[in-house]
Amino acid sequence: MTRPVDDRRIDAALGTLAREVEPPRDLWPGIAARLEASPGPSRRSWAWQAVAALVLVAVSSLVTATLVRRSPTPVAQQPVPASASAAMPVAFGPSFALNGEYAAARAQLAAELERRVATMPPSARQKLEANLAEMRRAADEINAALARQPGDPLLQELLLSTYQQELGVLASVNQLTGTSAAEEARQENVKL
Amino acid sequence: MSAALDPGEFERARQSAEDRRLVAAAAGGSSEAFERLYRRHAGRIFGLCLRMTGHRETAEDCVQEAFVQAWRNLPRFEARSGFGTWLHRIAVNAVLAQARRRQERVGAEASVEEEIAESVADGEVGDFGAGLDVEAAIASLPPGARHVLVLAGVYGYSHEETASMLGVAVGTCKAQLHRARQLLGQRLGVEEGGS
Repeated sequence: MTRPVDDRRIDAALGTLAREVEPPRDLWPGIAARLEASPGPSRRSWAWQAVAALVLVAVSSLVTATLVRRSPTPVAQQPVPASASAAMPVAFGPSFALNGEYAAARAQLAAELERRVATMPPSARQKLEANLAEMRRAADEINAALARQPGDPLLQELLLSTYQQELGVLASVNQLTGTSAAEEARQENVKL
Repeated sequence: MSAALDPGEFERARQSAEDRRLVAAAAGGSSEAFERLYRRHAGRIFGLCLRMTGHRETAEDCVQEAFVQAWRNLPRFEARSGFGTWLHRIAVNAVLAQARRRQERVGAEASVEEEIAESVADGEVGDFGAGLDVEAAIASLPPGARHVLVLAGVYGYSHEETASMLGVAVGTCKAQLHRARQLLGQRLGVEEGGS
């Protein structure tokens, strides 16, 4: 007859395992050799691209609706400082028109962020800005790739995901740092 | 009560933004960008393959096959899911294809434990010896139970995700995980009422 196992000890044992295990040798040269011998990334069909474009529009609208709902003040009441606009490029590639409400919600979040990061401790602000800078760099480079390959559905999806994630970060910062005046007074405790 | 922003969330956001930037460049034909993706993800993919196969050389083959397949299928990557998750799915497919082509070896090999031992930072595992025992015990499980345990128990995938990756029913996945945990508990001597 088997005895039941102690689940907590099993979980504890599994929890000790590192998720990453470095390969004992560099496997890249072997991969690179096979890449040279194989065809490059194959493009998706035009039919698939058309479907992807439709999905993008739907997702964009959904994100806009979500953001507008989460925004604490109406877009029209929030002037966008020039510095915030400059910090948050809102251009999609030439073949994908950015939804106007989406751009406005994004600009609003950026403006609020500027106001709220000023209340953060310098170290937290630095980390946040470094993370946002990486996202903007990704968006810039994907935008540049879209200019070279207009209509590429993968690039469009990558760009949209990057903007969505950036918006998610902005929204969560605003939400967590701006719930009340009392909350703002405690911003020194905000840690990133 | 202070507001605390989850540093993990921001780090993940930054990492996935960098992945997307590299995927965009690689999809345009940049093998340098793809090599960066390899460097960023090789450890996690090798860990997954090593634990699923229980064999170092087979795991190396699977890693290489996974990255070659990822390169070929890069334009089919759906950006809404993370690149790492997509790569995991490809790696699992590579492991399963390998298992179909070759008769799997049962039982841990010393080399598996050595590779894992070398890669684990000293501070990361409190009891290094116990960690090695766990790896050996996992490697000795029957393949089906081992695959489920690695995906669900080690890498944290849900039953639904694990079942989808392995191409089995969710019920099968749950049964295999239960079996794997029973066997693992017996091999590690952590049955209830035991020491």
